[in-house]
Amino acid sequence: MNAPDRFELFIMQDGEEKITAVDETRVPNCVVFTFVKEDHTLGNLLRSQLLKDPKVVFAGYKVPHPLIPNFELRVQTTDETNPRAALIKASQDLIKDLTIFRNNFTREWELKKMIEPQKEGI
Amino acid sequence: MDGFDMIDSGTDGPSVTIRKAEASHADFVLSNVDLAFANSIRRIILAEVPTLAIDLVEVISNSSVLPDELLSHRLGLIPLDSTNIDDKLLYTRDCDCDGYCERCSVVLTLVAKCTGDQNVTVYARDLAVAAGAQLGNPVITDEAQKGSIICKLRKGQELNLKCIAKKGIAKEHAKWQPCAAVAFEYDPWNKLKHVDYWYETDAKAEWPKSANAGWEEPPLENEPFDYNAVPGKFYMDVETVGSLPPDEILRQGVKYLQEKLANVIAGVQKTAGATGTAASADGDINGMEDGYGGARSPDMGDANGYGRNFNDGYVTPYGGAGGGGAGAQTPFGGYGGGGYSNGW
Repeated sequence: MNAPDRFELFIMQDGEEKITAVDETRVPNCVVFTFVKEDHTLGNLLRSQLLKDPKVVFAGYKVPHPLIPNFELRVQTTDETNPRAALIKASQDLIKDLTIFRNNFTREWELKKMIEPQKEGI
Repeated sequence: MDGFDMIDSGTDGPSVTIRKAEASHADFVLSNVDLAFANSIRRIILAEVPTLAIDLVEVISNSSVLPDELLSHRLGLIPLDSTNIDDKLLYTRDCDCDGYCERCSVVLTLVAKCTGDQNVTVYARDLAVAAGAQLGNPVITDEAQKGSIICKLRKGQELNLKCIAKKGIAKEHAKWQPCAAVAFEYDPWNKLKHVDYWYETDAKAEWPKSANAGWEEPPLENEPFDYNAVPGKFYMDVETVGSLPPDEILRQGVKYLQEKLANVIAGVQKTAGATGTAASADGDINGMEDGYGGARSPDMGDANGYGRNFNDGYVTPYGGAGGGGAGAQTPFGGYGGGGYSNGW
């Protein structure tokens, strides 16, 4: 009856920003990014990619409430870079990795289909 | 490019070994990636790859034993052919029609009546797609070419339904799921101790061996626990419901993940622009962030290229369905330009 519409899990409301950033003033070079209408799919992916960057001192994410489709990503870097640049770099690297994955998968898939054509059409 | 790139993706990036490639089934091993990457692929193909499913049912007459609601629910769950849906259909919410139109929906009609003494069974094949629709045929994979059962009619009972199928994602309703199941396993020998097996007397004797155990070395007797080890091989088995072939589901999943990441790049640049002007008065902002705000710093050209070009193709996360093709080529250029770009 009073359940929220399920499209509210992924449709942005008017005037909502996908990402807002709040600088963490108690720690140098630290920003907390709040992602609206996103979940573990993106949060955990970014977190683990950020942790591979030696310039990143801290990266962690949390979903503050399970019924609210937001997450917070906290990033702290060394002073060689800044959290925004680190996050952009992580995203770019992931886009590249995903492209490599897609190309490798497509190539392997076509090869496999060529080897076993009899299995096509179930 | 700094040293970090060399360590991370400098070698060859994610690699794939396909074990089974069938029409409704893809079994593969993903390696040289981390757990989060593999899990994100699993999550996105389960929940965020769009398909077509019946969403509205206009009941003109229903004298069967099934109530209208039950019938509509059953109709919603019937898989409909959704290949290349992004090129063919818009989301209804992004379409400028009121209600629905042929650019954002497919109309299927179901007319059936039982006149004889024998009961009539209505199958998915009895759904008739409106003439001129590019997709939306009910998926029929059984040998008798009937499809799933919708309902049964007794003498004198009839059905006359108009079904409006729309594009959607499984986050909204599971009827839009392209995958029936995605099997996901790593570390079949449990060397990493991520699983704590329950046992009566001996876990080894009581638990069956994983089907993937042959793909990894069994642990040695009294092997010390390697606390630095991380999972590196992921055994995935994508099983479809038939609306999309498994390879297309994966390619679409990658596309939507990349779209999310491109939105992250654009969104972060936007936040830098906002704080850039405010924070520069405090003097605690460095040149890097100024570069974002003004978008002029030459060393940021790469990052801007991602954000800008991408937005040309995908105007909104949901609005770019029709025109995604041309714009989407460039942002991943160099990789996507090869033989595998498939038009997106």
